[in-house]
Amino acid sequence: MRNNSEFAVRLTDVKKTYLMGKVEVEAIKGISLQIPTKRFNVIIGPSGSGKTTLLNLLGCIDIPSAGRVEVCGQDIACLTDEQASDFRAENIGFIFQNFNLIPVLSAYENVEYPLLLMKKPVKERKELTLKMLDAVGLTSHKHHRPNELSGGQRQRVAIARALVKGPKLVLADEPTANLDSKTGQSIIDLMYAMQAENHTTFIFSSHDRQVMAHAEKVFEIQDGLLMQDKEL
Amino acid sequence: MKTLHIAFRNIFRNSRRSLMTILAISVSAVAVHLFGGYVANIIYGMQSDYVRDNGHLQIYRKGFFDYGAGNPAVYGISRYQEIMQLINADPDLKNIVLMMTPILRFYGIAGNFKKDVSKTFYGLGYIPSEYKKMRQWNDYSMKRSRARLERIVLADSDTEAGIIGEGMARMLLLCEELNVKNCAEKPPEANGADLPAEAKEDFSFLSESDDLNPEQEAADKRPKLDLLAATAGGAPNVVSLYVNNTEIQGVKALDDNYVAMHISLAQRLLYGKGQKKVTGIVVQLRHTKDMALAKVRLQQLFDKNKLDLEIRDFTLIVPMYKQVISFLSALFSFIAVIMGLIVLFTIINTMTMSVMERVDEIGTIRALGLRRGGILRQFIAEGLVLGVLGATFGVLASVVLAYGINNSGLTWIPPNYVDRVPLTILIFINPFLVPGCWLGLVLLSVFSSVFPARKAGKMVIVDALRHV
Ligand SMILES: Nc1ncnc2c1ncn2[C@@H]1O[C@H](COP(=O)(O)OP(=O)(O)OP(=O)(O)O)[C@@H](O)[C@H]1O
Ligand SMILES: [Mg+2]
Repeated sequence: MRNNSEFAVRLTDVKKTYLMGKVEVEAIKGISLQIPTKRFNVIIGPSGSGKTTLLNLLGCIDIPSAGRVEVCGQDIACLTDEQASDFRAENIGFIFQNFNLIPVLSAYENVEYPLLLMKKPVKERKELTLKMLDAVGLTSHKHHRPNELSGGQRQRVAIARALVKGPKLVLADEPTANLDSKTGQSIIDLMYAMQAENHTTFIFSSHDRQVMAHAEKVFEIQDGLLMQDKEL
Repeated sequence: MKTLHIAFRNIFRNSRRSLMTILAISVSAVAVHLFGGYVANIIYGMQSDYVRDNGHLQIYRKGFFDYGAGNPAVYGISRYQEIMQLINADPDLKNIVLMMTPILRFYGIAGNFKKDVSKTFYGLGYIPSEYKKMRQWNDYSMKRSRARLERIVLADSDTEAGIIGEGMARMLLLCEELNVKNCAEKPPEANGADLPAEAKEDFSFLSESDDLNPEQEAADKRPKLDLLAATAGGAPNVVSLYVNNTEIQGVKALDDNYVAMHISLAQRLLYGKGQKKVTGIVVQLRHTKDMALAKVRLQQLFDKNKLDLEIRDFTLIVPMYKQVISFLSALFSFIAVIMGLIVLFTIINTMTMSVMERVDEIGTIRALGLRRGGILRQFIAEGLVLGVLGATFGVLASVVLAYGINNSGLTWIPPNYVDRVPLTILIFINPFLVPGCWLGLVLLSVFSSVFPARKAGKMVIVDALRHV
């Protein structure tokens, strides 16, 4: 248990199988790994290799079929649905491939939303939200709804939303897949900058080897298995 | 607070669908309000009329209601003035009783000997001015025809006059003299030609009274009837009645037998020169809601004073009232249930579509840390907002429509009525109708959205997120 502080995530012999009709699909076939805290980690692998499945486990929105997943020292299989929800609200920030902003809320309100879930007082909410919007350069767009923003802008809002509550862990599942390469690069740069500034543990998945440039640690998975685990 | 805010925005996201849903709720509200208002118009209208004619309560000598109508002489109340004073002196009753007046009900035979016809009648003796006043009761401020009020043209001073039903006038061949409209001419062969001779005999010789002034009698141009009834002693007695006018009664059986007269004439007929009694005391209250209280207080008063009296309320005197209420209530419930089902299915449908459209959104906010209960609350809040908007628009639309109908000049003849009355939709007269319907629709909307909301709450997050 001493290692808990050193590792944001620890996986031990984790398997995940899905049932497709009557056929069992093994998405993760036995992965053990430890992801250090306060670094920019990249999970790389081709399409269908199990990146999303892995990140879902790390994000406490799924449970393993076998093995043990510890996130911030917490065995996620032990949490009830409500405890897991509260745990996510407190500790985990998500950045999605499809941005997944709440369409009826403005940029400002989307960023504020996680703070509402944490029941932060009004004043603190406002301060943190404005600060985060400023950090992603969207102060001037704070009243825009997601459909009034470009893809890059939406992902900036999503980054602000993921980071506003100061989570221990930020999970970004192919956040640039739906963006052109130039915008994608600027989003990656923004994430690096934000990670460096906030000292958050970032786990970033991609099938694109180009994004590894600044990664501090890269995990490569293929067919549900970990290929290598190299430090840069 | 944020939940409601988000619910509002989500509702206006698919505004066409939400509008249709709100409209469906509003239409249900309008149907329930308008039908309820129409029913209220009938029920409160009937109540008003019955209370105008019969008061709220009638006090009889014990047994009169069941047995006494056949023998008013025995079941008469002689100390009725004292009883009315006793009631007036009671502080509780004094506040709730609007007025009291004695009446005499009895049966007899009426003859029009000029035309050689006679028939049985149902007699009602009252004090004209008080009866007229009683007919002005309008606690619900309902629109009504003035005709009924104006029909009582008896004067308190004219103690020998009366009013008869149109059917009575027809059968006694008085149509022409009394200007009765739509009076079919009697077939000539039935003109009493083959009646036994004794039936044609004038029975005025039985009259006990000798105070009739023959000269005055001759001067009076009004049609005259001789009324025959049994006195307290069992002997037949006869008085003369001048018919002032006719008053059509809603029920044919009553209309064919109705003879209303000044109470002193009825007393003279039934009690001769003996003790003057009445068969009942009519009590009219300020408000119908005090009826139960008044009954209890009156009974206490009678028990305390060892008075052998019974109290009947108008719903017993006119059983039709309760029958109509239960009939209309059944219809109303039927309509309310159908409308409720429509609302139920509409909301379930709308909310289910809304949930299905927002699967990825549900996955996202669950991933961000909203609990299942939060999802449930979010969708139920949307049902609540739809319900509140629909029900509120429904109330507004109903008010406008009811106002329009009430001022359109439409009239109709309610069951058992004889005159046309304004068609009114009284949606506020029953204080529970509008709030009850509003609350019912809102609760129903919330209830209906529970099913789709549970579906949303139970979603598996990873599946929801994969759903695009
Ligand atoms: N809910 C599910 N039901 C059945 N099979 C699933 C389910 N989710 C994932 N899989 C399967 O598990 C494997 C891994 O899927 P996953 O989405 O984790 O891959 P990925 O690396 O994220 O791919 P991509 O780069 O295309 O997003 C795939 O073969 C996929 O078909
Ligand atoms: Mg994926």
